[in-house]
Amino acid sequence: MRSRSHRTTWRWLLEKEMRELASSRAYWLLLVVVGALVGHAFITSVNLYAEASGIGGGPSALAQGLSPLEGIVVPTLGAYDIAATLLFPFVVIRLIALEKQTGELALTLQGPAPFGATIAAKAIALFFAWIIAGLAGAGAMIRWHELGGHLYAPEVFTVVLGHLLRGVLTIGVSAAAASLAASAASAAIIALTVTLGTWALDYVAAARGGVLSAIAEYTPSAALRVFEHGELRVATVLIMLTLGIGGLAIAAVWLDEGQRTGVRVARLAGVVVTVGVMCALFGRMRATRDVSEDRRNSFPRADELALRDIRQPLRVTVYLAAEDPRLTDLERGVLAKLRRTMRSVSVSYAANSRSGLFERPNDHYGEVWYDLGGKREMTRSTTEPIVLETIYRLAGRPAPAAADESPYPGYPLAAHVTLAPWVFFVFWPAIVLAAWWWARRTRVRRLQIVGE
Amino acid sequence: MALPQPVPRAEAGAGAGPSAIIRVENLSKRFGSFWALRGASFSVRPGEILGLIGPNGSGKTTLFQCFAGVTPSTLGTVSIDDRAVEPHERKRHLYFVPDGIQPWPDQSVDWVLRFVAGLHGATAAAHVEVVELLGLGPLLRARLGELSKGEHRRVLLAVGLLTPQPLLMLDEPFDGLDLRQTRDVMEVLRHHAAKRRTLFLSIHQLGDAARICDRFVLLSGGYVAGEGTLAELRAKAGVSDGGLEEVFLALT
Repeated sequence: MRSRSHRTTWRWLLEKEMRELASSRAYWLLLVVVGALVGHAFITSVNLYAEASGIGGGPSALAQGLSPLEGIVVPTLGAYDIAATLLFPFVVIRLIALEKQTGELALTLQGPAPFGATIAAKAIALFFAWIIAGLAGAGAMIRWHELGGHLYAPEVFTVVLGHLLRGVLTIGVSAAAASLAASAASAAIIALTVTLGTWALDYVAAARGGVLSAIAEYTPSAALRVFEHGELRVATVLIMLTLGIGGLAIAAVWLDEGQRTGVRVARLAGVVVTVGVMCALFGRMRATRDVSEDRRNSFPRADELALRDIRQPLRVTVYLAAEDPRLTDLERGVLAKLRRTMRSVSVSYAANSRSGLFERPNDHYGEVWYDLGGKREMTRSTTEPIVLETIYRLAGRPAPAAADESPYPGYPLAAHVTLAPWVFFVFWPAIVLAAWWWARRTRVRRLQIVGE
Repeated sequence: MALPQPVPRAEAGAGAGPSAIIRVENLSKRFGSFWALRGASFSVRPGEILGLIGPNGSGKTTLFQCFAGVTPSTLGTVSIDDRAVEPHERKRHLYFVPDGIQPWPDQSVDWVLRFVAGLHGATAAAHVEVVELLGLGPLLRARLGELSKGEHRRVLLAVGLLTPQPLLMLDEPFDGLDLRQTRDVMEVLRHHAAKRRTLFLSIHQLGDAARICDRFVLLSGGYVAGEGTLAELRAKAGVSDGGLEEVFLALT
């Protein structure tokens, strides 16, 4: 009986939030704009891909370099990053702020459900709305497949997962902003400030490295890039979820206006500390999976087996400045893969300056030192084969024989986009507008009141 | 800033007898250095229509908000059968419909009433009855955001009547209603009170209050200046033959 009552309560809460969402012009506008953004990105990507594939008899790139992941999937679905940054926060803020502005909050607080359930219902409705917005991207992927384009399901699903988690993060941050701010306008300013703050963090971290760099791995843009590179990193998934749910918890705590301010502040601090501790713990998790078809995040299989067999910890000391492009090469091409593969890898960044332009000769600038099993060796190379050779030498073992791995074939496709402009710039907006009209139609008509 | 001294009960023992269902003791609320509510104490009896009377700015809405637990009070307790009830528990015993709110502006009256009834477990018969009693039939397909003030008031009243809590608190239920509507709504409220539902109404029009309420809590400047039936208040004020207005003026 009790569970049935809970189900009924949930059903009403969810229906209410879905209806509020359907009443929001901001959401319908988001749908129209997302369709246009996805359409533009898709058409541009397909055209560029076709050019690289030698459309019209022009010179083509090497087939191995033509990956639908970075040629089509990432740029097309990248439209959702823009939407999550600049459009979706307003939809979220409206749904939360409306509750405060209309005075509905006083009634909600007296409802039979715990207030957290109301926030959860809002979050579920918003997540569903984000999925609906994803239909435009799904349409683009289907169209690419129809054109004869190749799609590697694990890659696509990983990128989609990244955008779903990006949506969760936006819901959490915007809900927290809407609950803390006095008005929707102030909430929008807070949400945009957070976004700008993460961009600034990305920029500063790229220049300084160190702890900031570790934190900046989880800014929305950086976290999304992990998925876009075809990597499924457990730490990134858990931290994005934690931050999103943490934002919702902040909203649930702060909007509970029946509690004294001191109690709410204490609970808020509790949420912030808990989220911080959980993120710190999750950040230590190394579980990761390379789901890219071309295994861009991994060493060759034979090397992976050999490296996993090395039990001593590897310590790397890098004398390269954060702004030095060689450090970027080393990070992406070697260190990230080493961290994924070896049991224990620690890296220290020892360069004194940010640019590396004015280092003194005795500063060791440009050197990368590898310590393993009490032996130490230096190389200035940042390329994978040289570094692996160095590590094998330190470990006292020969480099493994190259396994017979079939190389990534690449998927060139010189396709013409003809139907897509109609789909994304005509049919999609028409469907959205028709749905909006249908959603409003059922309740806008007011009966004539006799005698009034 | 010194805390306000609890105000002695206006009618010592009058409202705290065995029939009292809810006792409010020393309820106080401070905004910065301003005490909007100063040690309000009174009781609410089962099945009665209790009126909270006071001019604008006397603290009626603040008292309701603190009583209902939607705003934290600075001091004071609310107890039921001598057991203190924390603010977050009060929603099980009472429901408060604030004045001046505009909830669900984009939703139809029909859906809002079904939502409230469904959420609070009201029966279909209760839903139909409330719609009929308040004459909301012609408005059912209209959105709340496009209703007149009086229509909106009736919808919010319906929302309150559909909730199951034993005590219903309505902030200015007659504000925005014309004379005929006021009389009709009073009838509806009496009908509800007759079913042993207790009503606590905040009213600033003394004439309206005198016509519907069984007992009164007089509030002035955040203080409870008196509590009781009109006859009890007359006796307290030393007014032998006056209406509520004279009594209020004498006590405040």
